[in-house]
Amino acid sequence: MHAEAKQHDFEPKIVAFVCTWCTYAGADLAGTSRMQYPANVRVLKFPCTGRIDPVFILRAFQKGADGVLVSGCHPGDCHYMAGNFHARRRFAAFRALLDFVGVDLHRLQFSWVSAAEGGKWVEVVTELTERVRAMGPMLEFKSLEHEEQWSAFQALADVPGVVNTPELKEAYDKI
Amino acid sequence: MNAKANKNQGSCIEPSYYQAVTKAIRTQAVQILKEGTVAGLVGYLPGRRKGTARPALITTPEEAEKLIFSPACVNNLSVYLTKSKKGVLKQGRIGIVAKGCDMRALAGLMGESQIKREDLFIIAVDCAGVYGSGAERSETVTEANIARKCLECSVHHPEGADFVAGSATDLSGLTPLEAEEMARIEALPQAERWAFWKEHFSRCIRCMACRQVCPFCYCEQCLCDKNRPQAVESSPRPAGNTAWHIVRAMHLAGRCGGCAECERVCPMDIPLNLLNRRMAKELKELYDYEAGLAPAEKGPLTQYREDDDQSFIK
Repeated sequence: MHAEAKQHDFEPKIVAFVCTWCTYAGADLAGTSRMQYPANVRVLKFPCTGRIDPVFILRAFQKGADGVLVSGCHPGDCHYMAGNFHARRRFAAFRALLDFVGVDLHRLQFSWVSAAEGGKWVEVVTELTERVRAMGPMLEFKSLEHEEQWSAFQALADVPGVVNTPELKEAYDKI
Repeated sequence: MNAKANKNQGSCIEPSYYQAVTKAIRTQAVQILKEGTVAGLVGYLPGRRKGTARPALITTPEEAEKLIFSPACVNNLSVYLTKSKKGVLKQGRIGIVAKGCDMRALAGLMGESQIKREDLFIIAVDCAGVYGSGAERSETVTEANIARKCLECSVHHPEGADFVAGSATDLSGLTPLEAEEMARIEALPQAERWAFWKEHFSRCIRCMACRQVCPFCYCEQCLCDKNRPQAVESSPRPAGNTAWHIVRAMHLAGRCGGCAECERVCPMDIPLNLLNRRMAKELKELYDYEAGLAPAEKGPLTQYREDDDQSFIK
């Protein structure tokens, strides 16, 4: 039953925003059915895909996610009647925007997984994890965070006598 | 409207046209203020320097005699009618001078129940274009110094106004710089697109002028000002800037009327209207929706169809 534990050079962080009624239950089913899927995924439970703001996805990328999965009920199955229909349009637009800004859309996956589809959940998560693993770490947003912390310091470091103490230099080089 | 006038190879608009529009606006404004149709009127007065204009609230017929319309009348005045500005007039119907692009913002605000049509008296301008950034104010408007949005304006002839000043001006045949720029960026490889926007966003100083000037940014508390939990970092650093501009474009998707005020006021010259236009284009393609052509109760992102495209969803 157990898959061979493989050593990978890179373990991607996948953040999954899921709806509590379908996908969360589906993931739960996968668990209670003892299905194996990559442990790279961090599941965050929301009332509905309609509650998932594009800001959450941005924030996930900024804070170190290499891939993001958004998953909810199939169209027509929404507990709140139309939440996933609205989400579908919003994410279609958001995808176009991210693409225009230059984010690789292969890192962002949307899916419909119902409470009965434990197998599909495993499939979606595995596929996304393997794809992101092959792509390597998501550096774009992370490098922005890095820059904002150190760009000012870096600029000053070249100015003699400003912050060029040996201790600071050493601390900087360690980073 | 009358026959098409003033087509000088689509390049230069006669200054006399603006004088005629000015005269029409004055006459109409004086009339509605005298009759008491409106309690006040938002229009343009001459600025202190020659060849400039400033927005002003007019309440007397005497002041209305000073109203102007010139290529320097760049502002979108509909922003003064939104909740975020707490309304310039406490009571009474209000008049407003609006170019075609401003009319789109008005239509959008009406659709979002921010203003009521019956509270407005719209003096629309059959606009022949306004100055772009850095234009020498003593020159006439030519293709070289016209605002970029005017190069591909589709709303020269405003519809649904109470009064239209001026008569049809044909502006066809101008080079659509923005559309070309958008096509250029879209054709770039993904990494270069990211580099392009990163360079622009990292210059942002988060002065929030783009938000302040936008007729659709009327939220009393902006999501991006919130902390606990903080959605978007508020200091001007690259990560927060990128998030802010993405969120801004997303919140304006399907609503932005394309007045390009955000881009005009940006002190760092970030091409914000490109993002807005990209979203407008996408929503036009996906849902056949164009913002601001007429007041619509629901925008493309607040409604749905059961058979919407979901090819991107597994």
